[in-house]
Amino acid sequence: MEENIKSQPMEPQIFRQFDLKKKFRIGEFLIQGSLFLTGILSIFVTLAIVYELGKEALLFFVDPDVTLVKFFTTTRWQPGIGQYGIVALVSATLTTSFIAILISLPLGLASAIYLSEYASPKARGILKPVLEILAGIPTVVYGYFALLFVTPILKLFFSGNQLQTYNMLSAGLVMGIMILPLIASMSEDSLSAVPRALREGAYAMGATKLETSTQVVLPAALSGIGAAVIIGISRAVGETMIVAVAAGAGPNFSFNPLDAAETMTGHIARISGGDLSYNTIDYTSLFAIALMLFLVTLVLNLISQWVVNKFREQYE
Amino acid sequence: MSKIFRTSMFLFVALSVALAACGAPATEAAPATEAAPVTEAAAEAAPEDPMAMYAPDAVEGDVITAGSSTVFPVTERMAELFQQEGFAGSVTVDSIGTGAGFERFCVAGESDISNASRPIKDSEVEQCQAIGREPLEFRVATDALAVVVSAENDFVTNLTIEQIGQIYSGEITTWDQVDPSFPAETIQIYSPGSDSGTFDYFVEAVMEDHGGEEALLAREGAQYSEDDNVLVQGVVGSPYAIGYFGYAYYVENTDTLKALNVEGVEPNQEDVDNGTYPLARPLYIYSTAAIMQEKPQVAAFIYFYLTNLEDNIIDVGYFPAPAAEFEQALKNWELGVGK
Repeated sequence: MEENIKSQPMEPQIFRQFDLKKKFRIGEFLIQGSLFLTGILSIFVTLAIVYELGKEALLFFVDPDVTLVKFFTTTRWQPGIGQYGIVALVSATLTTSFIAILISLPLGLASAIYLSEYASPKARGILKPVLEILAGIPTVVYGYFALLFVTPILKLFFSGNQLQTYNMLSAGLVMGIMILPLIASMSEDSLSAVPRALREGAYAMGATKLETSTQVVLPAALSGIGAAVIIGISRAVGETMIVAVAAGAGPNFSFNPLDAAETMTGHIARISGGDLSYNTIDYTSLFAIALMLFLVTLVLNLISQWVVNKFREQYE
Repeated sequence: MSKIFRTSMFLFVALSVALAACGAPATEAAPATEAAPVTEAAAEAAPEDPMAMYAPDAVEGDVITAGSSTVFPVTERMAELFQQEGFAGSVTVDSIGTGAGFERFCVAGESDISNASRPIKDSEVEQCQAIGREPLEFRVATDALAVVVSAENDFVTNLTIEQIGQIYSGEITTWDQVDPSFPAETIQIYSPGSDSGTFDYFVEAVMEDHGGEEALLAREGAQYSEDDNVLVQGVVGSPYAIGYFGYAYYVENTDTLKALNVEGVEPNQEDVDNGTYPLARPLYIYSTAAIMQEKPQVAAFIYFYLTNLEDNIIDVGYFPAPAAEFEQALKNWELGVGK
């Protein structure tokens, strides 16, 4: 044996050393370059929007007639006669958005729980796309739905002059219907992402399906649902055509849903419809409102991020 | 299912984009060269019609108009008829308000024709002259400003100008303040926006003794819109609402609206013509001689416009201009084309 091994001496193997230096390829370079450019483009667009908003809004705020105190504390908005109290527009935006979330949150959550926990795979396969089609309806259609369908129905419930033809209630209700699929879809995704093991554990303890859904799965998905709600609010705040068509066409400081009042977005849409002179206070005031909207949605986005991080839980 | 849906949506969007791309604005055609002079023999046999060169199918290029939402229905009607008669170009009719229309005509110099529901102001003439335009006026119709309530309103039939002013300034806020026999309900206010010539005229005719434009814009609970249909919808929706706009919009909604008498006078042809209806006003279009000569299609459109008013103006919802004004408009047209 030993002799056999010795009789076969190992010849040294000489391997050719490969050059592992990165080889330049034009195709790869172009692909990476274009991907990089598309990423940069998104950032550039955002910065450009912020710049334009800031530039024009600054022209508004440096006007001698405008003061920050007046802007934030007075309740009349009519630039044509020197009234610059944005609270009149904010009150309408808050009222319609509040009504919208009041409608869409319970309905959306209920839809999500059904789709995630109760629906058979076949039913879910049909219902979820149908729900998402609701999100595809143009919002101007929702606006006329609110004005011509919902408002006449609401008038049956209110006597005499209580409900105006243009009112924040019908606009808010229909806006709730508009953001319903958004909340339902995102919430359902969050609920579905909860590990099966949590459900099995609850069933093992003798819990019913309802108890499992509401006391185990729902709390576990809280971060996703919270984010969905905040994005829904953000969407309602920024919604333009529904409130422009149905909520009212005059700035009005009011939290009464039966009143006609004009939201920030609706006001921008209406005033832009005329032919505004550039470099007038009317024109720059629109950018001040737009900047306010931008800041509101920015804050909502930050809150959304915080909610996701705060309530996120690791299960696996 | 959702895959098919997404594919369909994608194809639809792609098709829409393609169609939008096909709709790129056509470049303006060069003006046609002047027709060669006819031979003496032919001239003798068939004298040339001097108006032939202004027929709708004999001109090309585009016409750009903008201005009053009240004049808009007239101009739009004429634009449609002009194209039906063979005009190959496009006529743009933007409804942006009289003041805004004059700004586009006199400051920016973008439009060929400005629609106006009031005479041009001296300040606007000066702005036009500053950019080398000399406005030429064409009276086209008379508008009666209709003060309207819902057809469901069964208590008010007449208001004085004083009362209308008090309502729109906020001095009166409930109907029983107009007349004790009327219901004690809040009056809901609808008004055109401040970009509208209708607004300007209303301020001038009704609000001068009640705080003017400021009071109207400061009116508590008022709704403003440049779109008269928004106002119609608002007034129709409540028996306690009141609004005003051009007679045209009232005519389109006579089944759901009621036009009030003003100072006891009903808005109709007879009372407008004899000058007894207090809220009647002239409607105009404006252009310039230079534009009409440089762009024959503009001259052709204006001529077509003036000569087809009689057949259409009542249908649109206005009243014909007095005969003398109409003849002056024709004279101005001849002045414009240099005849």
